[in-house]
Amino acid sequence: MKQTKRKTLLAAVAAILVCAQLTACGGTTAATTTAAATTTAAETTTAGGESADTTAEATDAPEAAGMMSNEEIIKAAAADGKVGNWGLGNEYEIQALLTKYELPTDYITMDFTMDQFDSDSVTLASAMTYNELGLVKNSYDGGYGYGDTVGIIDMNDEGVAMLEDNLFCSKAFAEQNPNTVKAFVSASMKGWAYACANPEEAAEIVFEAGSSVSADHQAYMASEVAKLVTTDMNGNSVSAEKVGNMDEEAMQQTLDLAKKYIILEDAAAKDKLAAMTLDDIRSTAYMTYDPETDGAPEKTAVSVQLKWLPQAQFMGYYVAKAKGYYDEVGLDVTIVSGGGDISETTAVYNGTVDFGVTWVSNLINANAGGMELLEVAQVYQRSGLVLVYKNDLFKK
Amino acid sequence: MKAKRLMNSISGFALPVLFGVVIAALWQTEVLHSWMGTDTITLPLPTRIGEIISSNWDTIMGHVKITVTVALGGLMFGSILGYGIAIIATVFSKWGAGGLTIVSAFNAIPLVALAPVINNWTRDLSGDVSVRSTIAKILVVTISCTAAMSVNAFRGLTELKPFSEDLMKSYAAKRITVFTKLRLPNSIPYIFTALRVSVPASVIGALVTEYFAEETVGVGRQIRENIVKGQYPTAWAYIAIACAIGIIMYVILMIAEKLILKRRKSRG
Repeated sequence: MKQTKRKTLLAAVAAILVCAQLTACGGTTAATTTAAATTTAAETTTAGGESADTTAEATDAPEAAGMMSNEEIIKAAAADGKVGNWGLGNEYEIQALLTKYELPTDYITMDFTMDQFDSDSVTLASAMTYNELGLVKNSYDGGYGYGDTVGIIDMNDEGVAMLEDNLFCSKAFAEQNPNTVKAFVSASMKGWAYACANPEEAAEIVFEAGSSVSADHQAYMASEVAKLVTTDMNGNSVSAEKVGNMDEEAMQQTLDLAKKYIILEDAAAKDKLAAMTLDDIRSTAYMTYDPETDGAPEKTAVSVQLKWLPQAQFMGYYVAKAKGYYDEVGLDVTIVSGGGDISETTAVYNGTVDFGVTWVSNLINANAGGMELLEVAQVYQRSGLVLVYKNDLFKK
Repeated sequence: MKAKRLMNSISGFALPVLFGVVIAALWQTEVLHSWMGTDTITLPLPTRIGEIISSNWDTIMGHVKITVTVALGGLMFGSILGYGIAIIATVFSKWGAGGLTIVSAFNAIPLVALAPVINNWTRDLSGDVSVRSTIAKILVVTISCTAAMSVNAFRGLTELKPFSEDLMKSYAAKRITVFTKLRLPNSIPYIFTALRVSVPASVIGALVTEYFAEETVGVGRQIRENIVKGQYPTAWAYIAIACAIGIIMYVILMIAEKLILKRRKSRG
């Protein structure tokens, strides 16, 4: 460490490692569209350069090179009882990961900030790539500015990914209003395809529609969400025409993990969950809409309940509304924001709203409880959930 | 006279029970559902709720133990603290009443605002999440139980029978004697008045503060988790248990009050 040459060399090694990590975590591997790949490469270069500076200044490059493996990190954090998640149905992937490494499935409940991570009361914290991870890394308004001093464990890479944001309605609604459902799905997916191709514009549209977060964070979120919509669990790219596609394998993996980790006390619900198949939770019959052959929508004024506050997580719907895609198919759409304890499954079940956005695991849970809900599109093709940790807490 | 007392006890006991039975019958036969425009998933039948409770008795009792510990712990600390404040306010009578107003103002802070703040405070208290989480929850309940006790106990300590204080003075009794022989016994009925408020408050406080706790345990937390996950029958099982905790604790208080105040009366 006393020799400057050695220090520089190690810093370079650290920088390369960080680069490798960033590429792995970004969700955008080499196989993505050219535009996205270029952005990632550019990001990686800058990030790598910055991290080289930081490590050199901190003169702790030897440790930075000697990070623990994912397994060691998870085991160390679990031994301290410092693995965090929000609960309320967001915990299954984390529990699957803990089980994978033969650990107890207990976790600390996180509030909806990253303060617990900041203060080290949670050292391995749940974060969505498009939301909390951005707040942890970035230093814009509301951010914690950790930059590249944090690392992540990706659920997709760990093989415990479950599909998240989808689009659903009740089975009864779909039966009574098949054209409305088809029209809404096709216009929404058109919105999603546009939003993913133009994330900056999408972020602005969401921000103007009454954003819950800053414009900078909204832009970050839009770019990250686009990756989740256009990349599958294996890192392969999903073409614009296939936005909303329900990948059988990914759906099945989600259902299998849900059956294993959703613990129900209600015996009737337990039986229902055990017997559940993909046909009980999704239908691919509503993916395309042709007004000529299908006819006009039965119900024209419809509402969609979001899973969370207005933000780019749901940009496809905001874009479809702003760009007039809903008007094109003859729908008047109201976007209802969620947040806190608003249960989108209940809202759709009891008819407060017509459509909802939820995680597939939440829909499985609700159907086990007796709600007859039906997924009609799968917007996110891979899990956006990661566990984030501070590098300096998990060095060898 | 005897007949009248019998009638009183019938109307005091039998009528509420009858009301409960009628509601349960309407509920079980789904008449209640049609009146309220709901269904058996959002409002499951009593038999189904009962089934879930009986088949998960051990799990549920584990959560009950946690919730009751928090409620009783907070109730105890809050009551002791409240009584202490009342004593201080009595001793320093000049600004005592003003001080109590401040305590009451504290009590006006909604639990939902208080719980996350206290959770943040207690985060560094212990490395063990269940220890610091329990402390945080007890603190919230303590605050919600303090004001009722201090306000009522202050009245008990100061609103004495006419001339009794003068009488004590004429005996040349010391202040401490006046306190132990006159003020303290006089405050006992007021303690029960306070407890009638703070026992239910402690249960509600425990249930609500669990919502914000770091540990996913307790009856209140299970209600929230199950509602958000769409598991209404299980949520209702925990709601029923939460009601039972509140009722049982109140009944115990009523019995204790009757026994203690009766003894006092017969002695006096």
